[in-house]
Amino acid sequence: MSSIDIVLELLSNIVLIIGLVFVFLGMLGLLRLPDVYNRMHATTKIGTVGAFGVMLSILLKVGFSPMGVKALTVGLFLLLTAPIAAHMIGRAAHRHGVELCKESIIDEYGKSYK
Amino acid sequence: MKRYLLYSAPLALLWCFVHGDVTILNFLFGLVLGPFVIKPFKPLYKFGQEVSFKDAISRIPKEIKYFVMLIIEIIKACIVVGKIVIQPKIDIKPGIIAVPIDTKTHAGITAIANTITLTPGTLTLDVSDDESVLYVHCIDASDPDGVRESIKHDLEKYILEAFE
Repeated sequence: MSSIDIVLELLSNIVLIIGLVFVFLGMLGLLRLPDVYNRMHATTKIGTVGAFGVMLSILLKVGFSPMGVKALTVGLFLLLTAPIAAHMIGRAAHRHGVELCKESIIDEYGKSYK
Repeated sequence: MKRYLLYSAPLALLWCFVHGDVTILNFLFGLVLGPFVIKPFKPLYKFGQEVSFKDAISRIPKEIKYFVMLIIEIIKACIVVGKIVIQPKIDIKPGIIAVPIDTKTHAGITAIANTITLTPGTLTLDVSDDESVLYVHCIDASDPDGVRESIKHDLEKYILEAFE
């Protein structure tokens, strides 16, 4: 095992741990934040990066083999589709009349479609 | 024919990545498959406009610049929201802000909406019917004009360069 392999292995583990920490923070945010819209912040941003970190870790571990390249592709698709899901859920919630939490200070969307 | 070839190239690259082997043969096979995907989704592509290979290639550096900016913003976003989540007492002032945009094409609007969602503390909810205003949920909406300014100056100029 050459030294570059050891470095890649180490990097892969570090990225995996960072990714898992972000996934954990995302789930913590999902539990702790007050309403639908704020929870969406936690799941889209932190959750996506966490999952991308795990995929990157696979890529670093196996190199540019078919499996690694597919992992990278899955990560890129996550980055592309998570915002769209959040956008649709947020829009549907607002149009269904889900109220913003009581700390909210401004709502310029409400008057635009009623 | 030229258009099909131009629009097939990214799809062919994607085919290579999904297949797992990035080789010339796979790329050519992807180019052959591309038109079968493009044909049913014709309204999404700009078939009315004149396109050229030179123009498409000259955009690539700007697109790379945009992706670098996007990655930096995403990492910043994670740290910002992560900090809020681990506070002992969550103290936030969320709200929904209307943000006017200059982007005209559908691809540009999609790009800016996705970029806003992935950047710190903001989440796109909807676009107005005339496609001139985005409704953005902010985790810290105490300064609406500041949010509008930062979207206009930091994000939109990269997107205008890369996608229009």
